Amino acid sequence: MFACIYVPDFPVAAIVRAEPSLRDNAVAVLEGKPPHIQVMALNDMARLLGIEIGMTKLQAAIFTVSQEGSTVPAQPQPKKKSFEIEHGSRRGKAPRKPTAAVLRQRSPEQELSSHAALLDVAHAFTPRVEDTHSNRLLLDLDGLERLYGPVTAMARELASRVGRVGLECNIGVAANPDAAMHAACGFSGVTVLHAGEEARRLGVLPLHVLLESLDIASGCGTRISVAAREREKLREQMLDTLERWGVCDFRMLALLPEHALAARLGEVGTHLQQLARGAGTRTLALCDPPAHFEEGMELESAVETLEPLSFVLNRLLEQLCTRLEARALAVQELKLRLQLEPRVPDEQTATCAELEAARDKSFTSDCLEGNLYTRTLRLPVAMRDPKIFLKLLQLDLAAYPPGAPVCKLWITAEPARPRLAQRGLFLPVTPEAEKLEITLARINSIVGERRAGIAKMLDTHRADAFRMERFVVQTELGRSTASLTTSDTDNTPLFALRILRPARQIRVQLAEGRPAQMAMLARNGERVDLQGTVLWSAGPWRSSGDWWAEQPKSCDSSEDAQIWDREEWDVALAQDAGNDVALYRIYHDLGTGRWFADASYD
Amino acid sequence: MPSLTALRARVESSLGERLSSTLLLREKAAPLMVPTGVAALDALTGGLPRGALSEITGLASSGRTGVMLAALSGATRRDEACALVDASDNFDPASAALAGVDLERLLWVRCGQRDHSSLLKDQRPSAPSRLEQVLKVTDLLLQSGGFGMVVLDLGDMPTESVRRVPLTSWFRFRRAVEPTATVLLVVEQEPCAKTCASLVVGLRRTAICACNPASPNETEFQGWKVLSRPGPAIPPPNVVSHAALLRGMQLRAEVLRSWMQRNPLHSVGVQFELRAAQ
Repeated sequence: MFACIYVPDFPVAAIVRAEPSLRDNAVAVLEGKPPHIQVMALNDMARLLGIEIGMTKLQAAIFTVSQEGSTVPAQPQPKKKSFEIEHGSRRGKAPRKPTAAVLRQRSPEQELSSHAALLDVAHAFTPRVEDTHSNRLLLDLDGLERLYGPVTAMARELASRVGRVGLECNIGVAANPDAAMHAACGFSGVTVLHAGEEARRLGVLPLHVLLESLDIASGCGTRISVAAREREKLREQMLDTLERWGVCDFRMLALLPEHALAARLGEVGTHLQQLARGAGTRTLALCDPPAHFEEGMELESAVETLEPLSFVLNRLLEQLCTRLEARALAVQELKLRLQLEPRVPDEQTATCAELEAARDKSFTSDCLEGNLYTRTLRLPVAMRDPKIFLKLLQLDLAAYPPGAPVCKLWITAEPARPRLAQRGLFLPVTPEAEKLEITLARINSIVGERRAGIAKMLDTHRADAFRMERFVVQTELGRSTASLTTSDTDNTPLFALRILRPARQIRVQLAEGRPAQMAMLARNGERVDLQGTVLWSAGPWRSSGDWWAEQPKSCDSSEDAQIWDREEWDVALAQDAGNDVALYRIYHDLGTGRWFADASYD
Repeated sequence: MPSLTALRARVESSLGERLSSTLLLREKAAPLMVPTGVAALDALTGGLPRGALSEITGLASSGRTGVMLAALSGATRRDEACALVDASDNFDPASAALAGVDLERLLWVRCGQRDHSSLLKDQRPSAPSRLEQVLKVTDLLLQSGGFGMVVLDLGDMPTESVRRVPLTSWFRFRRAVEPTATVLLVVEQEPCAKTCASLVVGLRRTAICACNPASPNETEFQGWKVLSRPGPAIPPPNVVSHAALLRGMQLRAEVLRSWMQRNPLHSVGVQFELRAAQ
């Protein structure tokens, strides 16, 4: 058995998927460039109002004014939570007559996303899928009875899954792919054609359903490869011919004498008759599941602040996570691309200047290429919670605002296998990865990027050489026992250094080559807490390195190579008139001749 | 005149039907204790309580950081995730690694100076001060949960600043940590959490020990030079100064407050040593 998923009025369905509040409205989709903007798709309620395909925007705009005389708001209805379709529910339900229509520009991004969502659902159902057209897919259901039950239950389950990704569809099930496709295109809801009853059930369908599917079958590489416009012309000619013969539905075409039809219409005529009888046979041209998870949206008007943008982000993230859920995948990396409105340089705000300055220093890579602003979130563990992604993106955008109004946006997910989080009962509690990620993002927004994480020691003798890395909860046990140090074998604890960052410049008075008096050179408003008599000193110990580096970098990152050449001393400093003694590590920078205190012992 | 026991029995019998355990004092369950990593301190205090706020106080070079690292080392060795909120950005990862801290399990939050991008934002009036950063970050970490130990290092913050931390913040921290198994440890110069602290330990250095190069062949303890107040200082001129080595410190710890003991014993103290890494 084969099943066909068909989404009627696909351009409208794609827009409604992005804006679920339009689900109960009459929607017409416009296409073209001014002044030739025309209606190219509409839903049933828009048809009820009287809108037709091919109307100009001006003609269609008449229907956007309600009977009360007010224009229809953009989001008039509350969010609909469930999109599940029950068998026959749409067929029996007459759409209520709407008061006004909503016009939307065609969105290729949303259509691509919707098509990808359909493919995700289909591939999650069965690996044997044919990508027939943007609005319809064919599935091979052989061998799935043990998983999903009888064919009818299978079709309902399929419709339910498509509903979960925000699309309303028709499902047709039949013994051959073409019959399944005609059933899906011709009947709304779920239609199951059992073997032998295809001709009878399909007989009532109008001929344009058959000719549309013929174009598609031709387009997918089986027979004729001609331009779309020529195919359209051919279809109109054939439809015209058949109507002149008095043939208006499948049944009439099926009853025509086969030889006479072949003599007049050729091979195409015979093929059409086979399809009308529900007897066509062909193999599916299987496709691979999409490896690219992207959701995009073009905004009607540019958004300047984060709050309204959050609503759009939330919607896209929910769609993305639903698609990933359908494929049992999670997200390892999330990329947000924002198309910004062009701005003249003198209008640029301080935020843009900050971005320019901070671009190469951020934890996550970001770039501003032309008007495209990109932010990337790399997650330490794979996760699939849209709320967490939204919070992370909000915090990220608050820290690094795009600096210009956003007119278009895309979210791309790098898929990964979901995290397996089964742990033992007696293991120590660790922070939840999802919660921790938000906490870290919040902390970064407070203390700044690269200021929270784990310290990774660098392979150098330079003092205070480390690199900050992302903190990830360690789940494996027994790691620490491998890195036992001397303190583990000896119970006496060690005293430690407290690093003064940056090192304080000091003035040192020497006596017989050793420090005898010490005083800090205070900068503006700085406390003078390092001055007094040196009671005891040990040193000097020479240390130098990175002198081989040709171009020493002057930035303050502890990772960068910096030439150092210094003599270190340990001193016991009597402060506060000798009442307090503290131990410090001071050094004489032989390159500059200056003295610094860089650590205290504690 | 009925005795107190008889009176209590009468009240309990009359109210017993309506109220259970009328006059029973509800004892709080004793908190689980984790070792500090210093045997002498563990003997003195019993360790650090989970689900409570503990303070380690002392002046500069009094061994606070050594004790803190010993506690963190023990926690990371128990495979617990730990967090260090470093108010003055003084933490030395090299010392921590030598002390046995598994740096992979330690979240280090460096408060204070912000990076280049953030410095620009700091010019805005809403940029939080260093102490505000510490309080906000600690709050977030405690609310996040799952950490075995959260350490607030206020050791180099001016005492007058730390005193300005509102008591409500300490109460909030205590409330946040109470239902969890987290050890909240505050390292500072003088006690500031007042009654919110379950355990306050004061550290005082009694001696600084250094190797005497004049007698290198003597046994270890006899070879140490002890500098104590008022101390002799500069080694004689014939001593080669770069041969002298700082070997350790002798410390005295006192329990200043403990909710585990009904009567805080101010006089109870213990001597122990911190040694330098070899």
